[in-house]
Amino acid sequence: MPEAHPQPLIEQWGVPHTTVVTGAAGWLGRALTHRLLADPQRAHVRLLAHSTAEADDLRRFVDERTESGRDRVDIIIGDVAKADTAARLLHQVGTDSDVLHTAGVIHPKRVRQFYDVNTNGTRHLTGAAADAGVRRFVHVSSNSPFGTNPDNSDTFRHDEPFNPYLGYGTSKMQGEIAVNEAVAAGLDATIVRPPWFYGPFQPARQTTFFRLVRSGKFPVIGKGDQRRSMVYVDNLVDGILGAELTPAARGRGYWIADARAYTVAEIIETVGRALTDEGLSVKPPTTHLPPLASRVAELGDRILQGLGIYQQQLHVLGEMGHTIAVDISRSTAEIGYVPKVELYEGMRRSVRWCIDQGLEL
Amino acid sequence: MTAQPATAAMDADVLIIGSGAGGATTATVLAEAGFDALVVEEGDWVEQGAVVPFSLEQMDRQYRAGGVTVAFGLPSIAYSEGCCAGGGTEVNSGLYWRPPGDVLQRWREQFRIDDFDPDELLAIADEVEREISVGPVGGDYTEPSEVLRRGANALGWRNGEIPRWMKYPATGPIGGDTANGERQSMTRTYLPRAMTAGARLAVGCRVDRLVTTNGRATCADTTLADGTHGTITFRHVFVCGGAIQSPALLQRSGIRGQIGRTLAVHPTVKLAARFADALNVPDDVPVHQVKEFAPHLSFGGSASNPGLVALSLLDSWPNFRQAITQWQHISVYYAAITSEGRGRVRSFPHMRDPVVTYGLTRRDRELLRSGLSRLTLLMLEAGALEVYPSFKGAPSVRNRRDIAAMQQAFSATKASVMTVHLCSTVPMGELEGRCGANSFGLVHGCKNIHVNDASLLPTAPGVNPQASVMAFAIRNARRFVANGGRRA
Repeated sequence: MPEAHPQPLIEQWGVPHTTVVTGAAGWLGRALTHRLLADPQRAHVRLLAHSTAEADDLRRFVDERTESGRDRVDIIIGDVAKADTAARLLHQVGTDSDVLHTAGVIHPKRVRQFYDVNTNGTRHLTGAAADAGVRRFVHVSSNSPFGTNPDNSDTFRHDEPFNPYLGYGTSKMQGEIAVNEAVAAGLDATIVRPPWFYGPFQPARQTTFFRLVRSGKFPVIGKGDQRRSMVYVDNLVDGILGAELTPAARGRGYWIADARAYTVAEIIETVGRALTDEGLSVKPPTTHLPPLASRVAELGDRILQGLGIYQQQLHVLGEMGHTIAVDISRSTAEIGYVPKVELYEGMRRSVRWCIDQGLEL
Repeated sequence: MTAQPATAAMDADVLIIGSGAGGATTATVLAEAGFDALVVEEGDWVEQGAVVPFSLEQMDRQYRAGGVTVAFGLPSIAYSEGCCAGGGTEVNSGLYWRPPGDVLQRWREQFRIDDFDPDELLAIADEVEREISVGPVGGDYTEPSEVLRRGANALGWRNGEIPRWMKYPATGPIGGDTANGERQSMTRTYLPRAMTAGARLAVGCRVDRLVTTNGRATCADTTLADGTHGTITFRHVFVCGGAIQSPALLQRSGIRGQIGRTLAVHPTVKLAARFADALNVPDDVPVHQVKEFAPHLSFGGSASNPGLVALSLLDSWPNFRQAITQWQHISVYYAAITSEGRGRVRSFPHMRDPVVTYGLTRRDRELLRSGLSRLTLLMLEAGALEVYPSFKGAPSVRNRRDIAAMQQAFSATKASVMTVHLCSTVPMGELEGRCGANSFGLVHGCKNIHVNDASLLPTAPGVNPQASVMAFAIRNARRFVANGGRRA
């Protein structure tokens, strides 16, 4: 065993009385809620659900995890895009409270939804959080406000200029700007920026990824030497909690990703190995596309988004031709974030989770 | 000690064409070994200090074509070449970079350079550094240099002072600019040393072509400053005219092969940044460079006299013209990239100058965009009030949100891309189909024609190439001497 390097001591708060989670029924929201409920010191957890059906589903999710769910957890129904939701969500939370804002739209039907949720929703929430005087507001952003790396060997540093990638990137950039403006006006907020994340609680559409890898049809662009930073969802939860509890993180932004970026070829190979080791058959990759295919897809995505239309397959294929690699050293140094689960292990857990849920891979 | 004007009929054991970093060092090694060396130079001898550094007068007297030459492409790339005794070493910023060890290894392996030990080359670099007085600034840095340091430190980006060829007075106030230091260059170092050892330097002499039979050159046809023609006879010739002129001369002389097909450059984009305080230093450049993203991206400071400040605002003149009235508050900076693109030098009959073309790749264009925006961020962090990127229709930048708009508006084809680092037009090595000269600079297929300048560097090194040029030129000239002037 290599000797663990002692981390510099980072001053941290204790957990607050009330923890508020937006987007609680989502992929990241569930992983986060799962962790919060496992911590008995989290006395009060308030979750935002989008609809009654989602709230019912979340209630079952909570009841499966804690016996005291009725006392500890309340669920508010509302849409962050609507101006009154934030005030209802944060009504009388008190100052011993933190807000973990995970709600966001990644694959909408229409481009306008990006701005309704990712930009305006964030603005509503930061406003309400400032009014309520919460202790810390954690905003979950993305790599997309910063675009893609200019070269496959390039890695985004801690602080980079905005270069938003299409509608999602622009809406998330404006979300970050809203948070920064709120900080300037007195709110205590921190931003975390996960790239592509994976792991348990994934929505059904994500099983497509495993199915494509199994069938050898995951599209490899060119030599597959684009690099991708990824993050296992539990690691991301670690990062969010680090950002929540570190006083000195106020007004700063942190990449939350695995220790290093992987090439696309390595990702496909590793996922293939994880699937095989979980007893599933995997065909070698056969779908090699020329870089032009990705460029055409990106162009198509651009044109459609210009018309207000969002097409998920085009978007994903367009982005696959690029490197998105980030450097997490500042996150380790300042909020104590250390990724615990690496790609192979994370993918095995993801596959196992899908199988346990009865999902078809 | 200065040069003599060229005459119509000259003769030498070894003719060296060009007196820059390659030619001056070659002449020194050969003359000190007892060879009868004649250096011919197209431009004039201009004493250091006779013209203001980076001024229009300098452009006129010491650069080729007034400093404005262009490699055609989308975008076209402006480049400058020195054209005077000492060549590019007289007019550059004098910042010194050894060739990186990994680059030397890669050159040796990929281009199959025989009998080449990177450590030996670095030992030569030691000698060069002593000869040309490479060292750090003896006093305070100029404010434009401090801007780079401050901005990079705020972002946690690796940066440092680049040592330069400069002698500083032993006593009295020491400043970090040329007003106090004494710039070193070939006319101050290797050229006088070569002449002391017996080399002759003839200025105002352009070589039009080499007359060859069966791969052996016997004489050179020349044009003198007054327009008359002449001839130089010799036993051996070293072509040291730089990465554009050397391949052009070989092509005019009917030499085929891998000549002029693989021009490599460091494409560069610029911005001007305005600060609250007056910081402009018209006659010197910053000594700091930012190497956080090296080798693919490097940032540094450019010459910033009022004319050059105006030039950098020209691309978006309607938006930026107001700024020129505050030129004392403005300094110009650059972002340079390593390019995966390639250029060509082609000579055509009856045309005096070659046609140069260069094609950037998609990745190169992306890097230029990223470099310009990261440099803009650095400027904001250093306290810039407003940043003016050099591309057509560029918006000015005052905050981070503006950088996003700037990036979306950028395209490389609208940018004023330029370069001062030109190399690799006669790459050295034994790799067939790629190398124009052998492992010691003898042109493949020729018996007595050597190239010994930036043309030989197999690729653009990612740093200022002049240190590499001098070290390789000395290595190759010594090899020539060791062989007694016979074929290498």
